Amino acid sequence: MRPSGGSGAISGPHAGGYAAAVTGLGLITAAGTGADATWREVTTAEAPRGVRFREELRDLSCDFFYTVDGLDPQAEIGVAGARLMDRFAQLAVLAAREAVADAGLDPQTWDSDRVAVVIGSAHGGLPSYDAQADVLAARGARRVSPTLAPLAAVNGAAGSVCRDLPARGPSLAVTTACASGTDAIGTARALLRAGLCDVAIAGGAESVCSRLLVASACRLRAVSTRRDDPAAACRPFDADRDGFVIGEGAGLLVLERPEHARARGARIRGHLVGYGASNDAFAPVAPDPDGAGIERALRSALADAGLSPADVGHVNAHGTSTVLNDLIESTVLRRVLGEHPLVTSTKAMTGHTLGAAGGIEAALTVLALEHGLVPPTVNLSSLDPQVPVEVVAKQARPARIDCAVKTSLGFGGHNAALVFTRA
Amino acid sequence: MDVTEHIVTALTGKFGVAPAAIGDEVPLRQLGLDSLALEELRLIIEDGLDIDLDDVQLTSRDTFGQLVQAVHSKTGANA
Repeated sequence: MRPSGGSGAISGPHAGGYAAAVTGLGLITAAGTGADATWREVTTAEAPRGVRFREELRDLSCDFFYTVDGLDPQAEIGVAGARLMDRFAQLAVLAAREAVADAGLDPQTWDSDRVAVVIGSAHGGLPSYDAQADVLAARGARRVSPTLAPLAAVNGAAGSVCRDLPARGPSLAVTTACASGTDAIGTARALLRAGLCDVAIAGGAESVCSRLLVASACRLRAVSTRRDDPAAACRPFDADRDGFVIGEGAGLLVLERPEHARARGARIRGHLVGYGASNDAFAPVAPDPDGAGIERALRSALADAGLSPADVGHVNAHGTSTVLNDLIESTVLRRVLGEHPLVTSTKAMTGHTLGAAGGIEAALTVLALEHGLVPPTVNLSSLDPQVPVEVVAKQARPARIDCAVKTSLGFGGHNAALVFTRA
Repeated sequence: MDVTEHIVTALTGKFGVAPAAIGDEVPLRQLGLDSLALEELRLIIEDGLDIDLDDVQLTSRDTFGQLVQAVHSKTGANA
């Protein structure tokens, strides 16, 4: 075991900040259905299995996508329920059911007015929008489905989860592009802290295998064009990286007011002790070249937690596998935290799930703290010499970690950081 | 496929209605069809039977039997 992150430096879970209890996790990703399956795959597999050619993307310079296999939402949710959900909302519902069951909560008996749902998504029901735009063009306005209006909205996941459970407290979508899931979790913690709810189901959901969107991302030259080897295309921090690869998935946490979790004797899987967010106010796509925005978010999150850089043992980075993101983000991590944290990007296993990424990766961060194990950055074979942090590659690394950070950056200049501590 | 069969298939396949719940006297809302579902159903029936139901009034208080009758009146007109 490698000691890491000043173990012993953190006295108790509160560490000065407000500690929302993490009591449940739900994950649906290309790496697996369920939190256990995803964790096992992310920590043991040598290559991603879910990334493959998709017919919707035929002839685009990036024609592959991280797909969730072996899922039958119609059967799981039922025909009547699933028909009013775009796929991203279906993934959210299934992840929410898992997270709530994992937390030992019973939606039949809980005080549903005190349960909040906050789900981040960048594009929501864009696939429904695409399909009906085709109908409009080909067959005219009379043939457009009345379901487009409710299904295409970004709040479709939050509304669907509320109906399915049911949850009747505050509910909202948080949409900050690729930082959505992270900002949703930070927002949920603020709701708990303000006493607006006792329980919050928070994270992200996304499923946009949309020809229109990916065509645009291709023209932006933001996505990988490694069509001859899709499984090796997403390679964060690698010298040969050439862009991200989009994926679908959902990652949700059950967060609780600490008093509420204690009173019901809940199993606490981790503590969410800090959140910071900022905007670059610089460019719609390119990050601030000095990383000033992500630095402010990270420093704010640490200050909110009442922790110091020396306390942080692990970072689940945004690590998209674009040239610019990985360089700027890792430079900021080094500048703010120093050289000791074990950094990883799990996107080579899950794909870049855009608005879901922060939710999925926050859940993986909690699991890393719980298991004392940092997942490897799969596909990283030759570390970019300009990346000045210790990136875990090839094999998962056991380490006693007391505190871990999740960072996210999004188009629009959004930056967000979460700080978790071990239970 | 006749009209009744077509509507039953749509209700069970697209809206998850239990076949046993369907009967001539059963109001559509009892089958879980709200205003949104009725508008979806209208499009599905129009597409499937190649008819125009635009001027047919549909509410969830109507019964399954009334729906079948209304659709029949349009297929009859087409024939």
